[in-house]
Amino acid sequence: MHEIGIMESAMTFVLQHATENRARKVSRVVLRIGTLAGVEVESLRFAFDVVSRGTLAENADFEIEIVPASVFCQGCNDEFIQDTAGYIFICPTCGDLCGEIRRGRELELSRIEMN
Amino acid sequence: MCKECGCNHKVPFGVKVLSWIAPGMLKPRVAESDGASTTSSPPHSIEIHTSLLAKNDDLAAANRALFSQRRILTLNLLSSPGSGKTTLLSRTVDEFGLGNRCAVVVGDLETDNDARRLHRPHVQVAQITTGTACHLDADMVARGVKALDLTDVRVLFIENVGNLVCPADFDLGETLRVVLLSATEGEDKPLKYPPIFKSADLVLLTKIDIAEVLGFDRLQALDNIRRMAPRAECIELSARSGEGMEAWYRYLESHLTSVE
Repeated sequence: MHEIGIMESAMTFVLQHATENRARKVSRVVLRIGTLAGVEVESLRFAFDVVSRGTLAENADFEIEIVPASVFCQGCNDEFIQDTAGYIFICPTCGDLCGEIRRGRELELSRIEMN
Repeated sequence: MCKECGCNHKVPFGVKVLSWIAPGMLKPRVAESDGASTTSSPPHSIEIHTSLLAKNDDLAAANRALFSQRRILTLNLLSSPGSGKTTLLSRTVDEFGLGNRCAVVVGDLETDNDARRLHRPHVQVAQITTGTACHLDADMVARGVKALDLTDVRVLFIENVGNLVCPADFDLGETLRVVLLSATEGEDKPLKYPPIFKSADLVLLTKIDIAEVLGFDRLQALDNIRRMAPRAECIELSARSGEGMEAWYRYLESHLTSVE
């Protein structure tokens, strides 16, 4: 629901970097989004179109790198990658329910390209 | 700009302390300009790796430092609308709050109904009206807290906007996250709204006095909570009948010692 707000925040950083680098145009914007970040990728794309309109980043390629969830199992003292969808984490080694998320909540502006 | 659909309506944001409005707090947010430049330069790529919630996270860290410095236990209460946050807090400030000074920051899209329900001579309440925003953020909480006198306050309750989705992403600087699930909502809400339950330190199963008549399967609900948040504590209670309230107060008491 708050993808527009998140994208406004991203666009503030993008335009700040573009200005500092005296860019004429931003050609690509790359975000890193964890599978547990709680945002909809399609809504982000829509939000990017909305908030980039009329800026240096209008019509830029918009790319999202997905970061899979990594969860820590206390019993095994080890991390495992959750490669299936869902929020119930069961350790593949010992079968315990685990709750400590180590990666997968990323919500980052990763890279921009400009000229 | 409205943060939900991108329309151009200005979002009215306000903080209201019951019976008086702090000056300058009802101003709408000022949109940031894009400051674009058109000077030419060779094409290049830059790595940034900036968190998109960095601004909120920084403000939440500042809130957390303030609460910690003043030794205030701060609880962020999250749930769907109508799950009993305000009823729980009303009873809590009347019982637990008599021996432990409490303050409340409460968020809703509109009205100061909750602040009026919670206001007591011994409890300060700041009502935040968010306009269309579906969650509280750290900045709103900072502004709400600024309107309160924190002298001798031991526990600060932040009653978030009733919503099981968006508030999960916004750190407010709280010590603990408390998620409420009421018997009227059904046992499977933790499975349907994972992120918010995943982030909980404590889950309160509320309205437990009417669970039986509703055919609410408590054990199933508890199992769903455990699967979603294996490390969260869980208390079943009813703010109307009083069942389970002692366990809730013991929980607060035990965490009070951790901030002192």
